[in-house]
Amino acid sequence: MSVAVGGLKLRGPVLAASGTFGYGTEVPLLERRALGGMVSKGIFLRAREGTAPPRIAETPSGLLNAIGLQGPGADALVRDYAPQWASWDFPVLVNINGESASEYGELAARLDGVPGIAGFEINISCPNVEQGGLYFGNDPRAAAAVTEAVRKRTKLPVWVKLTPMVGDIGVIARAVESAGADALCAINTFVGMSIDLNAYKPRLSFRTGGLSGPAIRPLAVHLAHQAARAVRIPVIGIGGISRAEDALEFLVAGCVAVQVGTATFVNPRAIAEVHDGIAGFLDAKGFSSLADLPRYLPRD
Amino acid sequence: MFVITMRAPDVARSVRAGQFVNLGWAGGPLLRRPFSVYRADGEVIEVVLKAVGAGTAQLLAMEPGDRVSCLGPLGRGFEITAPHALAGRAQGAVLLISGGLGVAPMPLVARDARAAGARVTWVHGARSAQELCTEAAGDEVIWATDDGSRGFHGTVVASAPDADVVLACGPNRMLAAVAERWPEAQVAVETYMGCGTGVCLGCAVPLERGGYDRACKEGPVYRAADVNWSMLPAHLAYGA
Repeated sequence: MSVAVGGLKLRGPVLAASGTFGYGTEVPLLERRALGGMVSKGIFLRAREGTAPPRIAETPSGLLNAIGLQGPGADALVRDYAPQWASWDFPVLVNINGESASEYGELAARLDGVPGIAGFEINISCPNVEQGGLYFGNDPRAAAAVTEAVRKRTKLPVWVKLTPMVGDIGVIARAVESAGADALCAINTFVGMSIDLNAYKPRLSFRTGGLSGPAIRPLAVHLAHQAARAVRIPVIGIGGISRAEDALEFLVAGCVAVQVGTATFVNPRAIAEVHDGIAGFLDAKGFSSLADLPRYLPRD
Repeated sequence: MFVITMRAPDVARSVRAGQFVNLGWAGGPLLRRPFSVYRADGEVIEVVLKAVGAGTAQLLAMEPGDRVSCLGPLGRGFEITAPHALAGRAQGAVLLISGGLGVAPMPLVARDARAAGARVTWVHGARSAQELCTEAAGDEVIWATDDGSRGFHGTVVASAPDADVVLACGPNRMLAAVAERWPEAQVAVETYMGCGTGVCLGCAVPLERGGYDRACKEGPVYRAADVNWSMLPAHLAYGA
């Protein structure tokens, strides 16, 4: 089940998605054996408080969140978490954020070479920050500029997490591929809103939030597929995966690996179950490895 | 108000007053639902609930023998100190204040406070007698209803006597009033809950000193004066 993805060798194709696994230290009962890797909660150079509550709202088969990238900043991450990651038997990528391309670059430089940090996932798709975030993700030039700024400051693998809130994800995918990305992660949350009918206003204090969970899965499979068709670098599929079958849809649609997110909130064993289920599927179908799984990936 | 009893030996053995469990079940909503542990005895625990949305309605429709997935015990509970040490008296007075469903953690609090040698006064409030949970263990029990249909006509805070140690659970509006009168009170706040395990940061509690922490990890019990009550949503909207 091992896979090579964007400069990293993973022991399995299932990773923990950013923002759903904290810094890897919070969920003790999770079965770590099945983790192909982990992407840390999104971090900025400096500490951020995050948004005021309410921050989450459940919708049919979905979760709207506006956490606002609450986090301790780069120095605390290096001091408190990276030393723990250094001893783990799976790679940890740090989800990095900034308000300008140069700030992304500065953050990558600060974290580059720190033991325990195996690579970066550039977040150009967070819908819940006032500055940056999604702005970089829906403009191909801005997306490329951020990717380039990070690429110049590190030799570590650089993955770029794409937003679904674009007209043509292929355009953004090609732009960041040209700018030096090693892999793409598709996709981040959709921007959504839910209204409190007693208060006559949005249920989230930030007004809008990012929608995740099973509700977005078919949309995500389509967009990950579109991204995979547009580029030569690997694509990691994300969006509403809670069972092995969900992950297999992304894999057949052209992804080389997947990230499991919101499902972990509900079921701390979700990643292990998805991992084991993929192995069981390959077995049952008579495939000796993941590479033998048929892919549906006509090239543009 | 209804009580659901579950066989959960590990939780029953280790749960502390004020801790909660996050329940999920087949065919249920996407997210688990958090419940304070109401009672723990031997291998079983109890939770109390009202039908506030589709999820709780499904729980209430369950039959004996049905299974739920129970994650817990979660959060930090009440710190029940020996109050006589604080008061310099032979037997300190512990005041429990519960409003509506805030009754949930109180039986365990009362048990532990009495075990610590305290004299327990339980002030028990609801909108009306009909919504009042009749379960209240204490050396003294005071009833309060907003409409005066049972006991004191008015709020639990207005009806409560003075005390050395105050422990409270109820709607955030009530807890804000507790904080005004007893800044040192320990209060269990109500927030929306995502994972319950500290990773989603959805249950943010705004703090007086600035920033937020997590009801599911650092909470749900706080020193009343530490919470920024004006920023904590007073009312939680369920449904959708």
